[in-house]
Amino acid sequence: MKISYNWLKDYCKYDLSVEGLAESLTNAGLVVDTVNPVEDDFCLEVEVTSNRPDCLGFIGVAREVATIVRGKLDIPDVGYDTTDENINDITSVAVEDNELCQRYTARIIKDVKIGPSPEWMQKKISSIGLRPVNNIVDITNYVLMESGQPLHAFDLDRLSEGRIVVRRAKKDETMEAIDGSKCVLADDMLVIADAQRPVAIAGVMGGKDTEVSDATRNILLESAFFDPRSVRRVSRKLSLMSDSSYRFERRVDPECVDWASRRATKMILDIAGGQAVEGVIDQNYLEDNKMNVSLKMSRLNSLLGLQIEKNAAKDILEHLQFKINSETEDGFSVDVPSFRGDVYREIDLIEEVARIHGYDKIPVKSSIGVKLTQDNRFDKITERTKNVISGLGFNEVVTDSIVGDSQERHGTIWSETGSLKILNPIRQDENLLRKALVHNLLRVKKHNQNYGVEKTDIYELSKVYLPQEDDQLPEEKECLCILGEDGYLALKGAIETMLSHLNIADSLESVHFDFGLFSSEKSAELRLGDRVLGFIGELSREVISDYDFRSKPCVAELDFNVLLDKTNLEDSYLKIPSLPIVSRDFAVVSDEKVTWAEIKGCIESLKIDYVDNIEFFDVYRGKQIEKGSKSIAFRVIFRADDKTLKSEEVDILQEKILTSLGNSLGVSLRA
Amino acid sequence: MQERLSEIQNQAKGDLAKAESLEEVETIKTRYLGRKGGVITEIIKAIPGLPPEQRSSIGKSANALKQEISKWIEDAKGTLAGKEQASDSKKMFDLSIPGEHKPYGHKHPLTQTIDDIKEIFKKLCFDIEYGPEVEHEYYNFDALNIPADHPSREDFDTFYLGNKRLLRSQTSTVQIRVMEKTKPPIRMIAPGKVFRPDTVDARHASMFHQIEGLMVDEGVSFSDLKYVLTLFAQSYFGQDIKMRFRPSFFPFTEPSAEIDISCSLCKGKGCSVCSQSGWVEVLGAGMVDPNVFDTVGYDSEKYTGFAFGIGVERLTMLKYGIDNIRLFFENDLRFLSQF
Repeated sequence: MKISYNWLKDYCKYDLSVEGLAESLTNAGLVVDTVNPVEDDFCLEVEVTSNRPDCLGFIGVAREVATIVRGKLDIPDVGYDTTDENINDITSVAVEDNELCQRYTARIIKDVKIGPSPEWMQKKISSIGLRPVNNIVDITNYVLMESGQPLHAFDLDRLSEGRIVVRRAKKDETMEAIDGSKCVLADDMLVIADAQRPVAIAGVMGGKDTEVSDATRNILLESAFFDPRSVRRVSRKLSLMSDSSYRFERRVDPECVDWASRRATKMILDIAGGQAVEGVIDQNYLEDNKMNVSLKMSRLNSLLGLQIEKNAAKDILEHLQFKINSETEDGFSVDVPSFRGDVYREIDLIEEVARIHGYDKIPVKSSIGVKLTQDNRFDKITERTKNVISGLGFNEVVTDSIVGDSQERHGTIWSETGSLKILNPIRQDENLLRKALVHNLLRVKKHNQNYGVEKTDIYELSKVYLPQEDDQLPEEKECLCILGEDGYLALKGAIETMLSHLNIADSLESVHFDFGLFSSEKSAELRLGDRVLGFIGELSREVISDYDFRSKPCVAELDFNVLLDKTNLEDSYLKIPSLPIVSRDFAVVSDEKVTWAEIKGCIESLKIDYVDNIEFFDVYRGKQIEKGSKSIAFRVIFRADDKTLKSEEVDILQEKILTSLGNSLGVSLRA
Repeated sequence: MQERLSEIQNQAKGDLAKAESLEEVETIKTRYLGRKGGVITEIIKAIPGLPPEQRSSIGKSANALKQEISKWIEDAKGTLAGKEQASDSKKMFDLSIPGEHKPYGHKHPLTQTIDDIKEIFKKLCFDIEYGPEVEHEYYNFDALNIPADHPSREDFDTFYLGNKRLLRSQTSTVQIRVMEKTKPPIRMIAPGKVFRPDTVDARHASMFHQIEGLMVDEGVSFSDLKYVLTLFAQSYFGQDIKMRFRPSFFPFTEPSAEIDISCSLCKGKGCSVCSQSGWVEVLGAGMVDPNVFDTVGYDSEKYTGFAFGIGVERLTMLKYGIDNIRLFFENDLRFLSQF
């Protein structure tokens, strides 16, 4: 809300520069966002939190300033003279909905002279950005800004039968608002009506037909309390916001309703002339039970870590217009003023004392002791995984969980069920929660390619959201997706390196897998023991042309939960062998169908104690190799713990291996 | 034959004196000493065919010459190698050519910030906790003392998924989940993603990261809150950072505070990052509202506690002087590889 530095002085004589005022308000919880000079004045933009509607008027802000400087709050006089005529002889107010309208007052001022408001008033309201209209409208705005209580002036002579009915709108009733918008009303909306039709949408905006114009002579002045939730709902529904609705939906002070009405009446008489009719119609007001709250100083001081005297706390609360009504040795109890609906517990009083006393005066000290923190396995494994993958040259990316439906145009990975939908997305074409990471990584690759970065080795470790039945929360699956530009085997190698750093004992198995995203040749489901770890593949030609990629990336998407379950964080040490190894290189020819896994498995199945390791070299096809066959080169390393192996011993083992490969797989030594 | 030998001796000497490169020396070596067709080798090979009386003396001389030429060759090699090395390094190897690089992968800057913050709070004995990103309204609002239909819900604009489910708009949800399953004392932080339907611009993204903090025990006070957050800020931003705690409002804390630090860019003088105020807001915090304790079944007379929330993007932007939040989610490698 906007505050004028000079105007505020009407209610509290403070001796603060504009910078000093801004700092004091900020330190008390009313953050001053900006200070702008306006002629010989300053306009302060004050951020009022939703719990403090009492500060949505100058008097409320002045009350804070008066408390900060421990000064006096000056509240204007609202006394005025009336004619003999009684208001009840002229008009009537019927409140039909007590729930939505908890107080309605009306006053009548006759024979006013409509014209521009005086210069001093125009200057004041202009200083906070309001546009002067005419004296009556300017006065209602002035009092709104002063007190925080919205007012509305009707042209009494334009009200059908000159009376007011506060009721719910009839379905499809219409009204043209002051701002020219045509409103179609519904039966859950509270309106102010005359004998025939709605003339205002309660708390939101007045109607055009009954607004004050140059021809107006008699005025019915409304000041009321409307249900905050109702005003909020109606204002949202009709997309009509006003200074009034802003305040009503944050709750106005029910006691101030009448004060503001008197204040405006007095100003109308002073400025626009005319005579006030005797009396007021004040409907439906049930005075709130006074809220009574007690405060223990021991609690206050222990919660804040302070040593404040009781009298200092009392002084602060009394300046804020809390009334002390009883006192004990350790504390006191107060009546809460009606404008402080946010205060109803001891803790609320503690906050009042704390913020005025100053958070800066609370000492920075602690006696909290040490404590052993719990090991977080998830964090440890996540960190180790990221270290390995980053260490291999991949860059971590963070992409949006909210995606469009094109995400699945090349197939789904983790779930066939439709994605969870956001009911109120920012963009209608991005309204789904992702069910896989891979599509986001492809988009990142595309973005980089567009900006001339050709090699995009990236990964993301993050959640996907798999829908469950009915209204249950989704399964939030932690996934690891890696996109690599160095080919299928390089990506597989990165995964193998990661598995080895996570000390995962199961060996990685690749099973051919048909998946639209991947080429039919290089596409596999990866398994660890009995669990599916995830999927790896070279992007299919369709995907590459769909994204217009200039390279041929490979992608793997893994279920991180499998890694979490299988990781062994206990690193162990293996003694480095002291005896020399003997290695033998093999080049064998086999049928195309024979896999490396079979060859390795065959050697392992011989259970030769001295075989220490079997290392794959390469596959060769071409000259000298018959069509339909391939040459596979590998090395077997032999080692004994207790002796140096002799060449002749290894020769025998080598022969044994070749025989076995020949018998079971039809593999022969390359000529 | 002896004459032939001395002739060869002179020739070899002359050849070697003319040699200018190691290659030439090698050729000379082959010419004289090569196993096949070397001049000396051939002479030695031919010795058995000489008359017996000559064999011994010619053999001796030939071998002596072989030794001699071998030595000359080695000497020549040594001299030339020294020369070549010297000229090699001057002519050939450009020391200014950049080194060869292995690819270096970077963790995302937001991950790095979260890791840094976790590290600091681990030193202060805080546990790390996580909670779901898709939540029940209850955890995001009701349990946090944010009533339905209240304007304060507006401060936490939220994506809804139907059936009282939503994308959490704050990590405070984890407070409730942790308190539901744990008895005090509690000291924890909870990093994670949050979502709000903000219009995306340089300062706002619809997905961003927060770190929630919570400490609950008997006798925890506002000065403990100031102590812990001051240690954090000094540890993260540096010892000479200035801090300002000012009153604010959050439905789930009372009293509530917002914490500003002196702007690191302008050192408090005022710049565009701090809107000329010299201060930048980095944290929201406060004492846990008794209503929250009541909701999770803690005795609010016995226990007190504080909670705080840190904006991860904001801290990262401040630390590096990044002016556009969208950079974090575009994942341009030219950006990511700077961290």
